[in-house]
Amino acid sequence: MWALAWRNVWRYKTRTLVASGAVAVVVVFTLVFFGFVTATMTGMAEVLTSESGHLHVTSARAKQAHDFDARLIRDAARVEAALLRELPDVRLRRVLEVPALISGETRSRGALVIGTAQDDALGERFAREHVAVGRLPAPGSGDEIALGEALARALQVEIGDPVYVFAPGTEGWGAAAYTLVGLLDFPQTSHEIQAAYVSLEGAQELAAPGAVTRLEIHLAPERGAPTDALVEETKARAAAVLGPEVLVETWRESSPDMAALLDMMDPVMTVFSFFIFVLAGLLVVNTIYLGLVERIREFGVIIAVGADRWRVMRMVFTESLVLVLLGTAAGLFVGGLLVASWADGFRMPGFDEVLAEYGMPAVLYPSVTPGQVAVTVAFAIGTALAAALWPAWVAGRLQPVEAMRHVA
Amino acid sequence: MKPILRAVRLAKVYENGGVRTPALQGVDLEVMPGEFTAVAGPSGSGKSTLLHLLGCLDNPTAGETWLGERRTDQLDPVTRASLRLHEIGFVFQAYNLIPVLTALENAAFVLELRGEPKKARHDKAMAALEALGIADLAHRRPNQLSGGQQQRVAVARALAAEPRVVLADEPTANLDSKTGLALIELMKKLNQERGITFLFSTHDPRLLEHVGRIVRLEDGRVVADERVGAA
Ligand SMILES: Nc1ncnc2c1ncn2[C@@H]1O[C@H](COP(=O)(O)OP(=O)(O)OP(=O)(O)O)[C@@H](O)[C@H]1O
Ligand SMILES: [Mg+2]
Repeated sequence: MWALAWRNVWRYKTRTLVASGAVAVVVVFTLVFFGFVTATMTGMAEVLTSESGHLHVTSARAKQAHDFDARLIRDAARVEAALLRELPDVRLRRVLEVPALISGETRSRGALVIGTAQDDALGERFAREHVAVGRLPAPGSGDEIALGEALARALQVEIGDPVYVFAPGTEGWGAAAYTLVGLLDFPQTSHEIQAAYVSLEGAQELAAPGAVTRLEIHLAPERGAPTDALVEETKARAAAVLGPEVLVETWRESSPDMAALLDMMDPVMTVFSFFIFVLAGLLVVNTIYLGLVERIREFGVIIAVGADRWRVMRMVFTESLVLVLLGTAAGLFVGGLLVASWADGFRMPGFDEVLAEYGMPAVLYPSVTPGQVAVTVAFAIGTALAAALWPAWVAGRLQPVEAMRHVA
Repeated sequence: MKPILRAVRLAKVYENGGVRTPALQGVDLEVMPGEFTAVAGPSGSGKSTLLHLLGCLDNPTAGETWLGERRTDQLDPVTRASLRLHEIGFVFQAYNLIPVLTALENAAFVLELRGEPKKARHDKAMAALEALGIADLAHRRPNQLSGGQQQRVAVARALAAEPRVVLADEPTANLDSKTGLALIELMKKLNQERGITFLFSTHDPRLLEHVGRIVRLEDGRVVADERVGAA
C-alpha cells in the first residue's frame, strides 16, 4: 500500500513537488526558527548570568524595607565562609551598592557606587567586556574609581581627575575622594549614566564596614548554561546553610521578566510553527483532494473489486503521509544541515551593538533539541492526517457504481 | 444443483433530482455453477444494473438477490465490499486497471486487498497471467498495453482471486470485434477447463454465437432466456 501511495503521489509531479516542497520549506523554517530562538534565549540567559551570576544572596529584609540599612548583609565574611564551605566550587562576587551623590570639579549627579570584589576570572571577564578606557580600580584600593562613560561625560571628568562621593547617613565615613582610573561601557545606557565602580573595600569604608548588599554565585565558568535543576539544587543547599537572615534567589527569581520571556518562547514558537504548518496543510489538502477527484473512476473500480470504506480511507491517508513525509524528510535534511553549519557560532555582521543593547549575545549557537525535532515531525504528521481528513471522508463515501460512471 | 446467482422479482429504480428511471422491472434469473451466460439487450435495457445488483455493488429497490445460499440485497456497504472481495470477480468495460501498477501487480491487487502474503499473491497472479497468455507483459504498466491486453489483465485479476463467479460488464465494448472475440474465447476456455462461472453482458450479437446461454433484456425485463450450442 505504501508503494501504491508512493507511485500515486508521483502521478502529479508538479503538484506533489509544490505541496511537499511547501512542507519542506515549513520544516526547514521551523527548525531554523527553533534553532535561532533557542540560541537567542540561551544566549540571553548566559549574558545575564555571566554578568550577575546564577544565584543572588541578599538580605532577607531588603524586599520589604527599601532603605539602605535594610539591604545590608552585615556579617558578609561569615556568610561568605559558610557558602564556600558548602559550595567550594562556585565563584563569588561580593557587591556593595551605595546610593550616593557624586561630583567632579564642577558638576554632580546622583549615582550608584558599586563596590565589588570577585575572583580573578570574573574580574577579568568584567574588565574585558566593559572597560573602554583605563582600567578597573585595583582590588582593595581605597582611592580609585571607574565611571560609566556617560556618567563621566555628565560630570565632565577625565582619567586622572578627582571625583568626590557623598553618602550621608551611612555607617562609614560618608564621604570620600577618588581618582578616576577607568571609563566603562555598558550596553544599557541607564546603567552607564549612574554606575560608579570602586573596590569592595572602598565602598565598605565609605558606607558600611564589613557589609555587602549582594553576593552573586556563579556556577558555570564558560559557555553552556547550567541547567535549571542544578541552579535550583544549589539554591536549596545555599539556603539551608545560610539561614533565614538572607534570601537566596535564582537568576530566574531575581529577573522574573526575563525568565518569563524565556519560558514563553517555546510555547510561542510552537504555536507559531503550528500556524505555518496549517498553511502548508492547505496545499496538501488541495493536492490530495485533486488527486482524488481526478481518480474517482479508479477509486470506483478499487471499491468495486472489494476495497471497503476503511481501506479506501487508509489509501488516502497513506498518500497524504507519503506526500508530507517526503517534504519532511527533505526539510529535516536541509534544515539540519543549515543549523549544523551555524552550530559553531552565527554572527550577524554589523548588529553586535544592537543585539547587546537588548541583552542579546552577538554570537548565536543555533541548535535544535530532539524534542523540537519531534515536535516538528509530529506537526508534519498531524498536518498529513488533518489534510487527508476531508478527502478521505469523501473517498470513503464513494459508491462504486456512481464512482465508475463518474465523468471527470 | 443450487444456483450460484439468483435474482427474484428484482427491481431497480434510479432517482435523480426527482426523475425516476426504472432500470429493472421484476427480473427473475438463476445462474448455475459452471454456466457461461451472456446478458444481451439494447443500450439502456438494464444489463449493467443487473450485473451490479447481482455483484453486490448496489442494493435493489425491490426483490431479492442471492449469492449461493446467501441473500445479498439490503446489505450494508462494508459487508457488500467483503462479499465482492472474497466471492466475486469483476471485469468492467474500461478503466479496469490501476495505472501506476504493473500488469502483475494489478492481477495481484485483489489478493493484496485480501491481505495475502506477497509471495503467494505473486505466484497466483503470475499463473493467471500465464493462463491468459500475457505472462510476458507482467511488468508493463497499463498504458504500455493494448486495450485487449488490458482486458486480459482484468480477467487475470478476477481469475487470480479464484472467485465463485466472474461478472463482466461489457468486457469487449472497447475492443475491436476480433480482439473482443479472442477475449470471449479465452473466458470460455477458462470456463470449460476450470469450471469458472461467467456472467457477462454485451450488445454485440456476434459474440453471442459463442456462449452457452443468452438472457435477453429489454426495458428492464427478461424477454428471452435461451440455452444454445454445445456449452
Ligand atoms: N445512476 C443512474 N442514475 C439514473 N439513471 C440510471 C443510472 N444508472 C442507470 N440508469 C438508467 O437505468 C437504465 C438502465 O441502465 P443500464 O446502465 O443498466 O443499461 P445497460 O443495459 O447497461 O445499457 P448500456 O448498454 O448502454 O450499458 C437506463 O435507462 C439508464 O439511463
Ligand atoms: Mg451497461
